[in-house]
Amino acid sequence: MPHTIEKQRHIIDFTLASLLRRRGKNGALFTVYTLIVFILASVMFFTYALKEEAAQVLKGAPEIVVQRSLQGRYAPIPLEYAAKIRGIRGVMAVRPRLWGYYYDSVFLANYTIMTAESIPLPPGSIAIGHGISRMRRAYEGDTISFTGVDGKARNFTIAKILPQESQLLSADLILMNEDEYREFSGLPPGLASDLTLKVRNPKELTTIAEKIVKALPDSRPIIRNEILRTYDALFSWRGGLLIIIMSAAVLAFVIFAWDKASGLSAEEKKEIGILKAVGWETSDILFMKFWEGMTVSLTSFLAGTILAYGHIFFTSAALFAPVLKGWSVLYPVFRLTPFINPGQIATLFFLTVVPYTVTTIIPSWRAATIDPDSVLRS
Amino acid sequence: MIKVTQISKVYNAGRPNEFTAVREVSLTVNLGEVTVLKGPSGSGKTTLLGMLGCMVRPTSGRISLSHREITSLPERFLTQIRRETFGFIFQQFNLIKGLTALENVMAPAYPTGEKFATLRSRALETLALFNLAHKAAAKVEWLSGGEAQRVAIARALINNPAIIIADEPTAHLDTKLSHEFMAIIRQLKDDGKTILIASHDPIVYDSELMTSRIELRDGSVVTAGSLP
Amino acid sequence: MILNPSILALLISSLLIAFMVLYSALYGAQILRRWDITSGSELQLSLERKTYLISTILSYFLGIQLISLFLFIFTVDSLSPLFVGAMCAVGTLTVNGFGYPTLLLKLVNFILAGLWLIINHADNAGYDYPLIRKKYLFLMMLTPLILAESTLELFYFLEMKPDIITSCCGSLFSPASRGIASEIAAAPVIPMKIIFAVTMGLTTLSGTIFILKQRLGALFATLSGSAFIVSLVSLVSFICLYIYEMPSHHCPFCILQREYHYIGYPLYACLLLGSVTGMGVGVLVPFRKIPSLSATLPGFQRRLALTSLISWLIFTILALRPVIFTTFRLE
Repeated sequence: MPHTIEKQRHIIDFTLASLLRRRGKNGALFTVYTLIVFILASVMFFTYALKEEAAQVLKGAPEIVVQRSLQGRYAPIPLEYAAKIRGIRGVMAVRPRLWGYYYDSVFLANYTIMTAESIPLPPGSIAIGHGISRMRRAYEGDTISFTGVDGKARNFTIAKILPQESQLLSADLILMNEDEYREFSGLPPGLASDLTLKVRNPKELTTIAEKIVKALPDSRPIIRNEILRTYDALFSWRGGLLIIIMSAAVLAFVIFAWDKASGLSAEEKKEIGILKAVGWETSDILFMKFWEGMTVSLTSFLAGTILAYGHIFFTSAALFAPVLKGWSVLYPVFRLTPFINPGQIATLFFLTVVPYTVTTIIPSWRAATIDPDSVLRS
Repeated sequence: MIKVTQISKVYNAGRPNEFTAVREVSLTVNLGEVTVLKGPSGSGKTTLLGMLGCMVRPTSGRISLSHREITSLPERFLTQIRRETFGFIFQQFNLIKGLTALENVMAPAYPTGEKFATLRSRALETLALFNLAHKAAAKVEWLSGGEAQRVAIARALINNPAIIIADEPTAHLDTKLSHEFMAIIRQLKDDGKTILIASHDPIVYDSELMTSRIELRDGSVVTAGSLP
Repeated sequence: MILNPSILALLISSLLIAFMVLYSALYGAQILRRWDITSGSELQLSLERKTYLISTILSYFLGIQLISLFLFIFTVDSLSPLFVGAMCAVGTLTVNGFGYPTLLLKLVNFILAGLWLIINHADNAGYDYPLIRKKYLFLMMLTPLILAESTLELFYFLEMKPDIITSCCGSLFSPASRGIASEIAAAPVIPMKIIFAVTMGLTTLSGTIFILKQRLGALFATLSGSAFIVSLVSLVSFICLYIYEMPSHHCPFCILQREYHYIGYPLYACLLLGSVTGMGVGVLVPFRKIPSLSATLPGFQRRLALTSLISWLIFTILALRPVIFTTFRLE
């Protein structure tokens, strides 16, 4: 046993030295390999992080939201619906929500306005997300002006800047008192944007949703898990689609790898011939090729993964955020939370290292079975 | 002792370019002898040398080494026997470029799994034997012809083989270096090594070191016999 | 079909592997028909070279298979939110009839490929290729299984129909009552504990006897094989419950997750290694009388038995640690 290990050590030493000797060829391979890993890893880290981010957002969302649909489109929901829904068994609480969007034509940005429920606000004052705060350079105590539904500007005092930790949730948020919101947005009393439900037993979610539709045919209950599921499928699908598109690149890489592995230079062939002539066996050369592949694969894999990690989580996916993300302009410093698990790494490994390795088996074997007497005959 | 009976080597069998390199050769090489294979180029010297050195499997016939039949051994056994029994010196030295002299000498012993430190010190000793200790760390492409020749010999000796096989060793050497080479062969002979040389250089085949000579032509033995 | 990077990765690699195995099987068939050790013909020389290619392909297959086994479970697990009623991998595996057969074949093929490589290694130590025919007949048997695995896996993923809403503002009533079994039925705890202890005890005992006396090899191999099944059933029956500290969570896959410190990885790795090497000892028993192997085989079998024994020991320690050291009690 110890001499088997020692032998592998010798072969590894020799392999590393010969990789370094052929810097040009291996450098090119390393670069292309790293690039492929980098691109695929970026796509995967990005979609997973977005998915995770969405899941985090939805974690705080109500279990069921009931909207009203009029002419097949969203419409404000009458408050008496809340009373009817409260009567359904298993529903613990129903709360109307008031919220809407506001388009700031000066800064070309969309804000979300909601009524303040947990934060008490003095009349005429609002709380704003730090995204808006930074953009409009408005801070606590400042007065800020928004144009209401009637076209007249209204002034509000900023009572509070919302904390930064949950960026996606609150960066573009404006919190307002209910009566001021109704007056500002023109939503008549007796109507709400939607209703949120609390349910006693999560297993009854679908039953309750069915009952709601039966009682109120123009209502649309949305279950949180379904949104979650849809997001999940959507993000995986986006990632999968991109990977399919990129499989062309992987294919090109595999062909490149095949070419590199099978197109041995005369000098390499001679070298393998010499090694075999002086006492290396076919399996020793196969081991050498194995270690060579491992070294190239693992260094490229590591380099590509680390680069992709930096790209996604430190530069916020500078290279392809516009393609995949498409949020509002309000998130200039939007940072994704690093989220990586072993499964992602294994997937990446299977998309890059495994095709590369399988591709190089036959060329390696061809190289390893060069006749030892080829050096005699040359 | 190497004993071959009726060995032939056919390349591209069954195809129009079929070619018989060696035809039904039988001979015996005794231990301690210095044998020269003589013949024009294309006479099958190299192929025969390859078969005697367990590098090439014959198409037919039998080879036995120290009374062990080795003809149909799988490659890994044949390689092991070759590594332990034979040291090879090639026509063009065949050193691996980019490696140092020391690494070249050590390469044949890597598959044995010998401890690196002991292997390294043995390799250095062998180099010192040929006055090359100071060149151990030099890349082989920077060595002179004579130095490269001696590194190649040192490499052939690293696994302490009983038999040394040399294929046209003086083909690329000038007269002075050729004589130097023969001096080394004398030294090896005195150490008790069995030596097999293929050559058509008179400095080699007319040397008084030779104890037997085999002459080949068109893949067959013309004359074979001990020299006085 | 769900377009998910992990699914694509699994399908691509299984396709590549299936192709390579098929390729080596074709050469295997040629070796079976044309092999003639006494010949020095070019055909024979090239066949001998092919043996290197085939064993290289199988070695890579074994390595890739091991990772793909874990990636498969991971993928299936991560897909569970897409199916109503699926809590983890168990639920996703039952979304269609191909899930469990795929997993089962993956396990079987891993073990068979491991055994093939063990036979191959033994054969390589003989100077006259003593096992060449058996080895390649075995390969002929293994190839269709590997192809079947790839096909089943393909169908499993193709037939997946996730329960999703069509627009993120709409709602669709997912058939909650479709009834995916999220929990697997489990064997009763106390008899299972006894069976587990007895099997492990006997395996260790026979392994030790084999290492010391070179006897009872076949028994040890049989016990190793049984230990594999007993361990799987025990994982579901009680070991996992202690790891989760939940009286009814039987899932054998959740132990692969971070919440449980990835304890499942070493557990399954030891389980697989222990069974393959243990069964390898038994597979080699009939060949001990072959002259060219009689010198090397006992040593190789002893090393296998030792590896197997150590694996089982680590497995048992890892499995029993939570059973003994948690305050959680099942009975």
